Amino acid sequence: MRLSRRGLLRAGLAGTAATALGGLASGCAVPTGSTGRNLVLWYWDGGLGDTVIDKAKARYGSTVDLQAVKIGGYYRSKLITTMAGRAHIPDIAGLKGEDMASYLPNADQFVDLRTLGAEKYKSQYLSWKWDQGIADDGSMVGFPIDCGPVAHFYQYEVFRKAGLPYEPADVSRELNTWEKYFAAGEQLRKRIPGTSLLTDVNSVFENVVQQGSKRYVDKDRNFIGDQEHVRAAWTLAVEAKRRRIVSNLVTGTPDQISAVDSGKLPSQLGASWATYDIKNGNPKTKGKWRIADMPVRPSNNGGSFLSITKACREPEHAFEIIAWMLNAANQASGYVDAGLFPSTPASYGLKQLREPDPFFGGQVTTDVFGPAAQKIVVAYNSPFDVALGQPIKDEIKNVGVLGKDPEKAWSDAMSKCRRIAKHLGVSY
Amino acid sequence: MATVPALEKPPVVLADPPAVRPRNGWRKYWHLYAAISPFYLLFIAFGLIPVGFSLYLSFHRWDGLGSMEWAGLSQYQYLVSDSDFWSSIGNTIIIWALATFPMIFLAMVTAVMLNAAVRFKNVYRFAYFLPNVTSVVAIAIVFGSVFSTNFGLVNALLQAVGLDQVAWLNTPWGIKVAIATLMTWQWVGYNAIIFLAGLQTIPGELYEAARMDGAGPLQTFFRITLPLLRPTLLFVLVVSTVTGLQSFTEAQVLLQNTSNDSTFSGGPDHAGRTMVLYFFQQTFDNNDFGYGAAVAWGIFLVVVIFSIINWRLVQRRDED
Repeated sequence: MRLSRRGLLRAGLAGTAATALGGLASGCAVPTGSTGRNLVLWYWDGGLGDTVIDKAKARYGSTVDLQAVKIGGYYRSKLITTMAGRAHIPDIAGLKGEDMASYLPNADQFVDLRTLGAEKYKSQYLSWKWDQGIADDGSMVGFPIDCGPVAHFYQYEVFRKAGLPYEPADVSRELNTWEKYFAAGEQLRKRIPGTSLLTDVNSVFENVVQQGSKRYVDKDRNFIGDQEHVRAAWTLAVEAKRRRIVSNLVTGTPDQISAVDSGKLPSQLGASWATYDIKNGNPKTKGKWRIADMPVRPSNNGGSFLSITKACREPEHAFEIIAWMLNAANQASGYVDAGLFPSTPASYGLKQLREPDPFFGGQVTTDVFGPAAQKIVVAYNSPFDVALGQPIKDEIKNVGVLGKDPEKAWSDAMSKCRRIAKHLGVSY
Repeated sequence: MATVPALEKPPVVLADPPAVRPRNGWRKYWHLYAAISPFYLLFIAFGLIPVGFSLYLSFHRWDGLGSMEWAGLSQYQYLVSDSDFWSSIGNTIIIWALATFPMIFLAMVTAVMLNAAVRFKNVYRFAYFLPNVTSVVAIAIVFGSVFSTNFGLVNALLQAVGLDQVAWLNTPWGIKVAIATLMTWQWVGYNAIIFLAGLQTIPGELYEAARMDGAGPLQTFFRITLPLLRPTLLFVLVVSTVTGLQSFTEAQVLLQNTSNDSTFSGGPDHAGRTMVLYFFQQTFDNNDFGYGAAVAWGIFLVVVIFSIINWRLVQRRDED
């Protein structure tokens, strides 16, 4: 009995040691990046189209083994953890648009795509989108995947019943200022009681800020969230509340979804990818929607990039692959697979983007999103925008939802921003 | 049988002066150390080193990717003056109190009933324990529906008895009550099982004696059951304090729709922003890893203080 227990112990120990050593060994074999034969690409669900990935694997299969890994969960935190750990870093990494501000100050962790000849592709891409992938020091971190032009989604029948313009061209033309849009909201509520134009005031505030060329912090680390461009967005959002064109519902809750289904929330300001959200969230509304231009001018919401990390051993080859994966023809297939709206204007004329969409009453939605994408202006994307924009968004929400006094809310937001700016080393 | 000498020997050897046979002892017993090492190795890798690193981080500024910058005590100085952090402590304590006291009451009632149950004992135990092993995310999604304004079960009940609708997830107090209800529901069963175990250690003779002295059921409960359950109560209180003060998922999932942009902002007026939620917001929304680490240590301190208070409270009563 004694012997067998010892034996068991030894076997167990040997097993543990072997596993530990094995893990160590495999860890040492590929310390960073890959051998060149393997090329690891990280992306998230819906970050790239499946067809494009399969085609790239087949096309470059003779020279590299492209391993596209779909990372679940909180993508950015997994990527930066891996990069900070300096092991098993992917060769090619997808970067989400909203996270770009946090990657760009660390451009030294990525290969400057200009050194690989990226400039020669520049003319094929939307220029504002191209610029978003470039860091302050001029090095190019991200190669454009998709973009998210924002448009006005509305329910055709509801607008018609309320005596509002209802054909997309008319809606675009007649509701082209916030004043006219708000007035339409008042008319809507009068004609069809219980109806609100928008879900909450934040959609007004955030879209107005996004339309501009400035946000909360400028390139020189100055807080500019107290200036006229934010103040104007704030005033418009407060006005939307005062004129009672927003509901007291919360986006994504059962209450809001059923209000959208029943036509009580017939208008939304959403990005191109919101077409998928509406199709999934409100399948019953098929055929009821149309898309028109957003008041004033389009803005951008979302859209991502591919980057090549410093750990990549074959940057030239990796760049050849991403440039091919993101060319106009493949972006069109990404649009079909994953709803990624192309950043290559040449795609807008291709037949994949010219399909009438029965969910939108047979409208060719590219007719709206395509021109919108080309009219977008974008603001400087500061790594401090999240921290210093959040207090203002939180306070406008308190105005919208809790009925907080707008003056008090604004001064609360500003005093909070002053405190946070000081902490982050941003001058107020 | 062979285990007995093997287990008895080590203390004898260890009691010897260390200079006599230290190497011998190590050589003799290395396989025992090796046998217990996996836990310690894992603990060092996934417990001790991260804890130490977070302390180190809290004296730096770091965006998670670039180089770290020494910040001295400035993160802690800001932490002390950060009204958002203090309000998140307040939120956590209110939610904890709203959840824990009803939970302990209900758990005790449930335990006494389970103790008295004659039939289907195990079925009841299983049923009460189930919420505790259900994914919090799944529970939070269901509770999100239960507390929704127009179609929620809670508002349907309120309206059935002639009361007004409450926008639970869109008003500061509604948010706190909703989160607390979720936590109560989740933990009643678990703690009832703990109380039940405590109840079963109370000798039956005491109850018999009490009955003979003419004590009623209430008197028996307050004079015998409750005093003898004190150690169990302490355990339950400490465990629910530690888990309650670290609540995160409940608020995060329940309020992710009401929190614009950031899923960590805790709804209108930050009513549901608990300490851990605030830590996540600073770390993963703002990329302020240094400050996030300082917040984490702040949370640690608050939890320690509460554990001491709990312990003292229950301990002092024992001395009376």
